Amino acid sequence: MTATALQAKVHPAVEGGLLLEVADLSVQTASVTSITFTDPAGTALPGYVPGSHLVVQYGDGANAYSLTGSGRHPSEYTISVLRVDDGAGGSLAMHRLAVGDLVRVSHPRSAFAPVATARHHLLIAAGIGITPMLSHARAAAERDSEATLVYVYRPGQGAHVQEARELLGPALAECTDRGSFQEELTRRLTDQKLGTHLYVCGPAAFMDTVLARARELGWPQGRLHSEPFGAAELDQGEPFTVNLARSGVTLEVPAGVSLLEALENAGKGVPNMCRKGVCGECYLPVLRGAPLHRDLYLSEQEKSANTTMMCCVSRSLDQELELDL
Amino acid sequence: MCPIAMAPAAGTGPEAGFRGVIRVTFGTAAVPAAEGDAGMAGHDARFDAADREALASLIAVLEQARVGVRLVLAGPPADVAAAAAAAAACGLLEEEVTLLANESGRRLVFCAHCRTANTTVQGVGSEVDCEGCATTLAFSGHFSRRIGGYLGFAAHAEEAA
Ligand code: FES
Ligand SMILES: [Zn+2]
Repeated sequence: MTATALQAKVHPAVEGGLLLEVADLSVQTASVTSITFTDPAGTALPGYVPGSHLVVQYGDGANAYSLTGSGRHPSEYTISVLRVDDGAGGSLAMHRLAVGDLVRVSHPRSAFAPVATARHHLLIAAGIGITPMLSHARAAAERDSEATLVYVYRPGQGAHVQEARELLGPALAECTDRGSFQEELTRRLTDQKLGTHLYVCGPAAFMDTVLARARELGWPQGRLHSEPFGAAELDQGEPFTVNLARSGVTLEVPAGVSLLEALENAGKGVPNMCRKGVCGECYLPVLRGAPLHRDLYLSEQEKSANTTMMCCVSRSLDQELELDL
Repeated sequence: MCPIAMAPAAGTGPEAGFRGVIRVTFGTAAVPAAEGDAGMAGHDARFDAADREALASLIAVLEQARVGVRLVLAGPPADVAAAAAAAAACGLLEEEVTLLANESGRRLVFCAHCRTANTTVQGVGSEVDCEGCATTLAFSGHFSRRIGGYLGFAAHAEEAA
């Protein structure tokens, strides 16, 4: 077993989850590796909604990764992890896993489901953003619903590109430079039948570009769906202290540990789902101090009010924060 | 799913791939100048009523259109509602359709209790006796685009309870 193998202490985010074995590792690109987990006893795994993610424990932390399968009757779970050398360490730990290692994972969680009434799915992915799109494309193929995928990647850096080709055939458009992508995007956005829904996943700036262009071309909000996971892991951040006003407890939040994790470790679990600042589940009321907002959920206005924070990713600008908890 | 479209009569529809504003009027309603579509290409169509033929040709136009299109429906409430339901079945979202129902005219009120479709010329906010179960129905805010009419609830439920 490697250094990242099973930890005795169960991370709260994967409590009540599954204990799985690494069954396969496959190198996608120089920085992306796919990891397949199976049940050590060979039992089938719970099914999931396309676009779901899995929280995987590594050491004392836990990270969420998109599942790449269709989710129907899975016998294995596969994620693809981009190595981020200066991140909080989760991706490096994932890359150190070896076949046979045991890991604790959550049940799959759905936060980016396909629209059931859609007559066509227009999938747009950049870089590692391909992972949830692969899940959508597979599900569409199984259900005989229509999907097109536009996949942007750097030359030679396209994870899962072969699978995407086999899966989608002519319904896949590959772009390896900005100019050709802009052209392709405009072409696609102006030629979709009514009832089409758009799904985009990739770095925040990429998604902003796609969504802004779609709105410009008359796409209403109800047709636009995005999975803003941010291509990179957030940095470890500075340590800070939180005062829980109602319970009178003071907690230290060390660098590399999220406020959510610190609360969980102290037995003060907070409802949460995505654990990456996207879903809005883990909000906490702030009484004093300025949070360092790092989520993608709150509006700029809400952020500057400093009365709410997403504790899964946000930290503190001040040495100390007081929370209404 | 979109009902099967009939081919539009030659020369009546907008060009394939249309992404502008489609304005459909029923009866004698004036062609509306809808807000928010300034600068968008327009296509106008007028029908006497939202009968099968009219709806089929609306669907044919929508089948040719592309995401980005907006639909404006004007006329008697029942016709506007029927056309709105057809548009929804074609995949149009509420945000893409503007409904301009005349103040007066036929409306459909679906009984929430027995599901009978009642036709009335009463205005929104008034009451109608259900033809199915005789409940006095109040109809106001509950307009359903899916069924193309108002949902009527027992008007005096609170008093009875
Ligand atoms: S858990 Fe989703 S925003 Fe924090
Ligand atoms: Zn009735």
